[in-house]
Amino acid sequence: MSAMKVVANLEICQGHARCAQICPELFTTDVEQGKVVLRQVQIPADLEEQARLAVANCPEGALRLARNSGSGS
Amino acid sequence: MSTSQLTPVPPHVPPHLVLDFDFFAVPPGLRDPFDKWQALVDTGAPPIFWSPRNGGHWTFLGYEAIREAYRNHESFSNRHQSIPKTEGWPVLQPNGVDPPEHSKFRNLLTPLFTPAAIASLQGEIRRRTRVLLDDFVADGHCDFVAQFSGKLPTGLFIHLMGMDEGRLGEFIALADFFMRVEDPAAKAQNAREIYGLLDEFFRAKTAHLGEDIASLLIRTRDTPGSGVSHEEVINCAFLLFVAGLDTVTSTMTCIWRYLATTTDARRQIAGCLSQPNELNRAIEELIRYYAVSSIYRRVTRDMTFKGVTLKQDEMVVLPDNLANRDPAVFDRPRDIDLRRKVNPHLTFGLGVHRCIGSHLAKLEISTALQEWLPRIPDFRLVEREPIKIFAGPVMGFRSLPLAWEVHAAKVLMRS
Repeated sequence: MSAMKVVANLEICQGHARCAQICPELFTTDVEQGKVVLRQVQIPADLEEQARLAVANCPEGALRLARNSGSGS
Repeated sequence: MSTSQLTPVPPHVPPHLVLDFDFFAVPPGLRDPFDKWQALVDTGAPPIFWSPRNGGHWTFLGYEAIREAYRNHESFSNRHQSIPKTEGWPVLQPNGVDPPEHSKFRNLLTPLFTPAAIASLQGEIRRRTRVLLDDFVADGHCDFVAQFSGKLPTGLFIHLMGMDEGRLGEFIALADFFMRVEDPAAKAQNAREIYGLLDEFFRAKTAHLGEDIASLLIRTRDTPGSGVSHEEVINCAFLLFVAGLDTVTSTMTCIWRYLATTTDARRQIAGCLSQPNELNRAIEELIRYYAVSSIYRRVTRDMTFKGVTLKQDEMVVLPDNLANRDPAVFDRPRDIDLRRKVNPHLTFGLGVHRCIGSHLAKLEISTALQEWLPRIPDFRLVEREPIKIFAGPVMGFRSLPLAWEVHAAKVLMRS
């Protein structure tokens, strides 16, 4: 695992699904509203770069990366 | 070629923010509709300026201002927005209303346009694309707008609404006119004809419900207590007709024009047609660069926005293309980089009114590329005469004559 986790704000998400396109390993969308669904919160080290790109490409700013706090989840 | 009248500048607008810019005009000699916008930036237009043309309105030029306007529907409303202001224009559902009213139709339609729902249309889009291609591949030439990009979205509208395929020709003619007509009276007449056709269709459809958008709208209308009227249903269908039509047509036309003149890009895209990640990245870049829509909003209250005094009921134009070419956000924004990694473009808008059809539009483009490039790997622009350009809320080219060597094209390709 990397030291990072991903946080999604569903109030802001409008279902552009850019994240799911860029990093389908971490993100998908729900069938009803098309909003982001996190497949996993913790980011595996080998997906950190993709996760960063997913965050950077969200035009709504609905995603962010956060550092894991000490003891893990 | 400015045709609209100048209206007096309101007293709260300082002279240094006034610029004579006609949103609808096509300056003589313009060869690319985006150049008109780029020229504004290059000549140092204020990032928020007032134009006295078309009834007088604001235009926001930068990514941040456009983004904020999109996200703040309480200050920048979709209700009764048109430039110039038009009385009696129907309230389109759900695009013409704001929350909470907005959610009535939006929530109804959203599940039909999620990535999962749209993915199920892949086969239908592919089939329609092949039918269009079969018609002209052997000719060695086509008018891309008349024979391809103008037809695909209309065909899909017919399919999604559960309309009789026999009406396709009729709808293509109406859509074609809708996109080409400039005279306001003729445009209004055309809109009335589309409304008439939709009204008649919905009345007849009520007796033959199926699994399509029209049936869903009718079932909702006829559910006691739904609060959905026949008129609203037609306004919703009209929105789906116009919103997914000239936008997709124009975007595809811009992309194919670029490909016709850029061999490297054709090769690059042809090389990644079966790699979704790379293909998607290329398409996101093309729709960033060729964002054909400029969106209207109405100011709901007097306020100061980024240092500028805006008054209630003033109109604002948000040109997506300039947001997407803002150097503050995009690295080398005037280059098309099909491998661009950071690309939070605003082509589909933002916030509650985010284009509901974005996933459909992208699937149409990707499928069209997947079907076109293997059959017509090389094609060129036929520059007979300057191609007619149109400007306004959607900009683009009225036609796009393309040609290719028939021996190089796969005339028959059946899987």
